[in-house]
Amino acid sequence: QNLRLSSHVLSDFGTDGLSIANDNGSFSTSWLRNLSDASSSWHSSSTKPRKLITNDFDNFHFHAQPSPIPTSVLQLAGSAYLMRATAWEHYGSAPMVRMNTLVYATCFADAASSSELSLAYVKLIEQLAVFKGYSAAFCALKLAEEKFPSSTNSQIHLLKMQLLHERALHRGHLRIAQQICDEFGVLSSSVSGVDIELKTEASLRRARTLLAAKQFSQAAAVANSLFTTCYKYNMQVENASVLLLLAEIHRKSDNAVLGLPYALASQSFCKSFNLDLLEASATLTLAELWLALGSNHAKRALSLVYQSLPMILGHGGLELRARSQIVLAKCHLTDPEFSVSEDPCAVLDPLNQAAEDLQVLEYHEMAAEVYYLKAMTYNHLGKEYEREEAAARFKEHVTALENPRDEEDSLVY
Amino acid sequence: LSLFPPVRPPKKTSPKKPPTKQQAAMAEEQMEEASSSAAASGTPFQLQFDKPIPFQIKLAEWNPEKDLLAMVTDDSKVLLHRFNWQRLWTISPGKCITSICWSPDGKIVALGTEDGFVLLHDVENGKMLRSIKSHDVAIICLNWAEDEPLSRTDKEDLLSYEDRTTRFFPPAPVMPRIGGLNSGDTGLADENEEAIQAFSSASCQRFNILCTGDKDGCICFSIFGIFPIGKININKVPIHVQSSGKRTSYRLQDVSISKVSLSRNLHQLVLLCSGKLINTDNLSLSNDLSVGVHCLHLDTSIFSNRKNELHQVSQQASSIQDLVEVVRASISMMSKQWSNAMNLFHEKFSALPSLLTAHGMESSSEDEFMSLLFGTHTSPALHQFLVSSLGEAGLKRIAKTIESAGRELRIVVSEHLQPAVEIISFRLAELRGLARWRSRFQNIGLDEKLMDGVTERVGMLVVQVERFSRVAATVLYLFQNFLSWVLKCVKILLSEPTDQVPSTNSELVVIFLKFLLDKDPIKQLLETDQIFEWDIDTAKHVEHLVVFGGFTDTKFLERSLAKQFSELEESLKEAFLMPFTTVSSQIHCQGLLPLYPVTSSDALSSTSTPASIAFYKDKDSQHNASSYSSTDYICFKIPDGSLNLRNFVAVIKDFCNSCSTSNTPSLSGFLLHIPVEYECVDLSLYKDNQVVLLLSGKSSSENAGRSWMVMLQTENLSFSQFSRTFPANYYNLQELEALELQLDTDYGKVRSVPHPLSTPLAVSASRGVACIFSSRRHALVYILDEDEDEDEDEGSEME
Repeated sequence: QNLRLSSHVLSDFGTDGLSIANDNGSFSTSWLRNLSDASSSWHSSSTKPRKLITNDFDNFHFHAQPSPIPTSVLQLAGSAYLMRATAWEHYGSAPMVRMNTLVYATCFADAASSSELSLAYVKLIEQLAVFKGYSAAFCALKLAEEKFPSSTNSQIHLLKMQLLHERALHRGHLRIAQQICDEFGVLSSSVSGVDIELKTEASLRRARTLLAAKQFSQAAAVANSLFTTCYKYNMQVENASVLLLLAEIHRKSDNAVLGLPYALASQSFCKSFNLDLLEASATLTLAELWLALGSNHAKRALSLVYQSLPMILGHGGLELRARSQIVLAKCHLTDPEFSVSEDPCAVLDPLNQAAEDLQVLEYHEMAAEVYYLKAMTYNHLGKEYEREEAAARFKEHVTALENPRDEEDSLVY
Repeated sequence: LSLFPPVRPPKKTSPKKPPTKQQAAMAEEQMEEASSSAAASGTPFQLQFDKPIPFQIKLAEWNPEKDLLAMVTDDSKVLLHRFNWQRLWTISPGKCITSICWSPDGKIVALGTEDGFVLLHDVENGKMLRSIKSHDVAIICLNWAEDEPLSRTDKEDLLSYEDRTTRFFPPAPVMPRIGGLNSGDTGLADENEEAIQAFSSASCQRFNILCTGDKDGCICFSIFGIFPIGKININKVPIHVQSSGKRTSYRLQDVSISKVSLSRNLHQLVLLCSGKLINTDNLSLSNDLSVGVHCLHLDTSIFSNRKNELHQVSQQASSIQDLVEVVRASISMMSKQWSNAMNLFHEKFSALPSLLTAHGMESSSEDEFMSLLFGTHTSPALHQFLVSSLGEAGLKRIAKTIESAGRELRIVVSEHLQPAVEIISFRLAELRGLARWRSRFQNIGLDEKLMDGVTERVGMLVVQVERFSRVAATVLYLFQNFLSWVLKCVKILLSEPTDQVPSTNSELVVIFLKFLLDKDPIKQLLETDQIFEWDIDTAKHVEHLVVFGGFTDTKFLERSLAKQFSELEESLKEAFLMPFTTVSSQIHCQGLLPLYPVTSSDALSSTSTPASIAFYKDKDSQHNASSYSSTDYICFKIPDGSLNLRNFVAVIKDFCNSCSTSNTPSLSGFLLHIPVEYECVDLSLYKDNQVVLLLSGKSSSENAGRSWMVMLQTENLSFSQFSRTFPANYYNLQELEALELQLDTDYGKVRSVPHPLSTPLAVSASRGVACIFSSRRHALVYILDEDEDEDEDEGSEME
């Protein structure tokens, strides 16, 4: 509601007697420059073959007249879009995040402060990493670093580290991941109660690294202490995601029963705060947990997956989508009433989709799982050629995961 | 619908008579009627009342939920009456109405017009909610079927889908109205808006489909009556007939649809149509006999199998379409408001150039104002213009007009345009998510690529709206500044004190004189045919953004707001056309049964031959089963002379099942011979497999002016099976056993009516009442079920 009202600041400009009394001269300067430019370019533009018209007050037109609207008002109007984008990140609507950020980057780039503009670029690059994979994201990151020198801009630097960490985790380069985690820890101030966001991020990443290294008890300890911190500082979004992480840790350590309460808690947390995407992924984790409890729970797990799919497919990133497809296929495969030979598409379609997404993400561990399931399915169907192919791909990914040869590459982008 | 509590017909008590003169005049007759009905204690149907009605009624339909009767008069007025005959409203849509039906929840009445429009009217006040042009010719029949909520197993898997929009957004914006927030609003406009809101939110709760059939053989399907989801042309539908191992293809020509009925599980559609049956394999085989009335069975299982998906898609898509209308109205309204204000401004200021010429000066008005601003001199022409032809009052008028136009613009942008575009983009994002679920949504035609394209376009539209509001804010500010400067000048020229005038910025006055005096940047953005120039820096910036995932179409800044909107509309149309064509292509003809031949001369009148189609749930089917079967009953009058039969009514059942399962031919029926001195005026199927017939004495016979209403329990009558010998022999209804209808035997219930009757007959299964119309302009309402209370539960369950 408040965000919506804030967009009125621009359209209502001038109605309340708000004027530019505090003119500091910058307006006059730009005005003089533009006036001469505009009169000289007048004829050149009219001779162009295409019938173009100029809108002198369009801020996309170079010779546009300086706006009487002060920059501060524009910044205010623009940051409403950035705020909206952030809100949608939490509520879960990926296209809305992208759109609002783009509107900001397109319309308010001229008036924006460098920190806000770099925040918009960070958001765009995050979106790229989640939806288009790391190569696209790093490509954009390079451009952003040119635009905002990293020495002056911590946001871009932070983003770079986040991306590198994610990629190292996916590729299975745990040593590198650990190293980046340590760097994260150094970034924040040592005084307690300061830089809380940075600190939570650092320990969240540490827990995830430990989880990837299969050090479950340590990961759980880190996550538990993190939960205490978040609870203390009323960080609700983090609360929900830490709970989800705890559920995940218990699931991976084959303690599905212990994981269930965490997943349920996270789910209800998300529900009360309208964190829809996180809720969907909590529901997915719940489905995985039920599935881990035995084949007689396959039906329940399947209905949970179906519940979360519209949200995950619409707004979830590549990893989440691939995970949901794998769970979907697993639900079918574990269901004793389901027969692969009757409906092979129900299993193969999601698996193919997941394989496609994971390829972009370079996520070896999950890709190996997909190809394993595919090989099993083809084996059932008696398609030997396809089975061998899937098995070969499985082996490829497992080797890549177990022998991280080019680990140093992980810091290069 | 709290306005209309369900009114149960009072039992065994005559209705209270409203003390109008007209009814007082009728009192005598009514008394007579009442006494006669009391005398004949065995008379089955109780007469509720007999009221004169000053119109000739051509269509009548009972509301399925409340005791309301909608009637269409010969001159296409629509009347809504309560059960106690109190009239609630009358409307004249100004079009010839050819068909009528109620929405399943009874909140909307749908009217089909002669020129192919479907009009949806609110039951509360008769206001038109929508007008949708789905056909090119007259709509002959309407059928609005609601999906019956089945067992719980059915719900489990997908109904958990939630429309998130209401959680994140305030109520959707409505069309802007002229006048905006100005006082003096009429209450009517407000009500109308609310009605549209209520319509879009309330009627989308349960999945329902409106089928409309027209004179040229087209059937349209629309979800909730507003979102078109399919259209098929019976003339083009191939009909395959399996006979003695051979498959023959047929086609119908010159089809005119007279009746459609969709089963309650949305699985099958039965329709009656007239047309010429031709063999597409061997065209020479058709003969005169092939022109006739046929019964077709269409497989609409796509609706029942994919109802959850269709429900979700149509819910999102129909509200997107509503909001697109809001955006369109906003843009056109802004354009209108602004051009009105600008016209006034230019009209007043155009006096200056002519004054300059009159004074023999060659300078432009810009130059004159400029020299006034810099204090060099004030030419006599400008002086005359400012002081006499414009004047302080004129100037204030302009300022006021522009200010109010600017206010309107701001209101429209912030209250209508921006929220509408925002909700559209959110809903599109949700739809795109659904489109990604290929295994479920691809086969109803929700295409991921097309949805991506639309999402991209709406993003650009948001940028355009932002650009527009910025240009508008600047221009309005400049106008405000300029006009106060001119006012100040006028005051100085008139030697009046200027302390009341707000201070102005002279730099902005220069900008105004140079760029706004003879140009209109707001108008440019509101016109579709403009291409904007933009500089290399911006181009670079936009291309740079593509790397970061920006809009791939980098040329979008060339377009105006209006142009961008029309592009969005186009791609939306394309995206929503996919489900439409995909679903249409999945509706197939399952079977054909030629009923009776008609000679081409009376082909036209045959469309008005009484007929009725109904589906009854099979008694033996279990209620818990995820899909129950239903049996279709088709009842129709055979026109005199056709099949060499006179005065016959036919009842056929189980046509659909006989089409789908060829090995167990279950098609059966019977003929009913009406006593010669009577003719069947109208007929209708009624709950519990009954048939209600209206018989009127022929004018030549001694029984002229005497009529009968007959209700037959079809189960008491013997259905005889008959084989479909088609194509060897087209029509074989004669094979059926013919029963003589005796008006005194106990096949069913019979009641005499002391009036000559005319169409229509309106029966209400849920209420157990029938309304019939005498040709002497009387409406008579009878209670069909004596044991009202006992039947109540059963009745609602059966239909």
